[in-house]
Amino acid sequence: MSTLALLLTQTVNALSQSALLFFLGVGLTLIFGLMRIVNFAHGALYMLGAFVGYSIAAWSGSFWLALAGAPLLVGLFGAGFELTILRRLYRRDAHAFLMVTFGLALVVGEAVRLTWGSDALQVAGPPALSGVVFMLDEPFPVYRLFLVAIGVVVAVAIWQFLERARLGLLIRATSQNADMANALGVDVKMIRSCVFGIGCGLAALGGVLAAPLVTASNGMAATVIIDAFVIVIIGGMGSFLGSLIGALLIGFVQVFGNYYAPDFALAFMYLVMLAVLVMRPGGLLGKEA
Amino acid sequence: MKPLTTGIAGIALLAVLVLAPLGLPPFAMTLLTEAVILGLFAMSLDLMFGYTRLVSFGHAAAYGLGAYACGWLLLNTGMPMLFAVFAGALLTGIVGLGVGWMCTLATGVSFSMLTLAFAQLLYAISFKWTSVTGGSDGLAGIPRTVGPFGFAALSSKAGFYYFALACLVGGFLACRALVRSPFGAVLRGIRENEAKTTALGYNTRLYKIAVVAVAYGLGGLAGGLYAPFAGFANTELLFWLLSGQVLIMVIVGGAGTLVGPILGAAFFMLMEHQLSAWTEAWALYFGLIFIAFVLFAPEGIWGLATGLATGRFRPASERH
Repeated sequence: MSTLALLLTQTVNALSQSALLFFLGVGLTLIFGLMRIVNFAHGALYMLGAFVGYSIAAWSGSFWLALAGAPLLVGLFGAGFELTILRRLYRRDAHAFLMVTFGLALVVGEAVRLTWGSDALQVAGPPALSGVVFMLDEPFPVYRLFLVAIGVVVAVAIWQFLERARLGLLIRATSQNADMANALGVDVKMIRSCVFGIGCGLAALGGVLAAPLVTASNGMAATVIIDAFVIVIIGGMGSFLGSLIGALLIGFVQVFGNYYAPDFALAFMYLVMLAVLVMRPGGLLGKEA
Repeated sequence: MKPLTTGIAGIALLAVLVLAPLGLPPFAMTLLTEAVILGLFAMSLDLMFGYTRLVSFGHAAAYGLGAYACGWLLLNTGMPMLFAVFAGALLTGIVGLGVGWMCTLATGVSFSMLTLAFAQLLYAISFKWTSVTGGSDGLAGIPRTVGPFGFAALSSKAGFYYFALACLVGGFLACRALVRSPFGAVLRGIRENEAKTTALGYNTRLYKIAVVAVAYGLGGLAGGLYAPFAGFANTELLFWLLSGQVLIMVIVGGAGTLVGPILGAAFFMLMEHQLSAWTEAWALYFGLIFIAFVLFAPEGIWGLATGLATGRFRPASERH
């Protein structure tokens, strides 16, 4: 394989990895920006998305239906959790959220194990995307290119939603000053339920999309939650653009680190995060330390 | 609860713990020893979390570091266990100085994330530095070496239990003296209002670094006890899940009380043991119990107990 072809394939690999990480990070950062809470259950909901997606795909035979259905169902579940549990805690200390979402992570993780068993489940990607394309005479899976494309589409969609849509405007207003937004007649409670649901739905989207690559397994929650935290911290808690930059940075560090220095790949990610935080304690685009 | 009542309750509890080896079957002794070690670990975090409001997501770093250091010494130097445990604690405390310096560059959530990053870095290192850590297998067959001068009383099951209990009681008395001292008053000042404490002329950063180092040292002591207790040290001792669990022990027990986290650790152990004996899906019920605690008993077990004793409940807002 020529150096150029290698660089190209690794770059596209890194971009597709970044896309998956972005779905996680952006949900986490939206939730944090609006509610100032760290959602420990984000990884568990990502896993839930993968398994729900597996069931929908197995039942209907269509990956596309799973891709639409799983984020919707998990998003509704998230909104329901906010409505029934989290809502009672807004006047409390931040550590109450930490504990409740940690509890949720345990409950969801165990419920998934009880429902779908402990074995990793193979999720078939859509047949249309199962082939390979040749880039500089090297075969490359179409599915990874598809991930890059959908990452771009989702990023642009969220950006436009936050900038243009009325709900996006209300979300930004509530993030900046919830009391003022409330005084101006914004239904802050409804906004919070929506954003928590959207964030959870995005995590599930990541889970469904990752499933054909890595299989749906019980272990997928634990590793991914840390990746998501790292991305959000690097980018700056609550910053949409920051989560995009963080996802790209970590995607490249993971893929290239794994290729060139597999022994140190795991440590690289944390070193990058430490370096960023020591220089800018609030993250690259964060406002506060 | 009045100080006298607390004192009597404390002495009674201690008496029960001291007499426990006489009446308990071996497997219960093992559980109790582990609960004592975890209690020490949770109490060390309470100094940071409960008294200074430094939320560490990476306290497993202290536990794992202490366990690996002690385990390595026992396996490779034949040092008496008594010394190895404290050497592990000392090393962890020194590392804690560095961690404290680095992490206190940031505040709030970023501080938490830096502690997490550091712990995960150690976790990654423990996998790769195979010559020292044993990689993914960890260190196995860690002996309870005797000595000094052939002093073997600590190596037996009951002897080791008393050793761990002595560390817990000693650690508790030291922590209590610390939080009641002027130093502890500054820590509480940082918890309530750091800006105000700084304005009063205290270099709050130095205090925070110091408390991180002390908390790491005590956490390392707990980890150092765990290595010869279990006979192994593996990467799970450095994993973030343990950091989350110990935070929950502190919160469930009652943060900022020192006694609470010890009870929280015991409760955690008991629940894990009972639930896993009763149902395979113990984590499910575990999670539900935690959620119930946050919603209905924000003061933790100790808050419930003292609330019952005095016949009144203080709302969470009054205490923090």
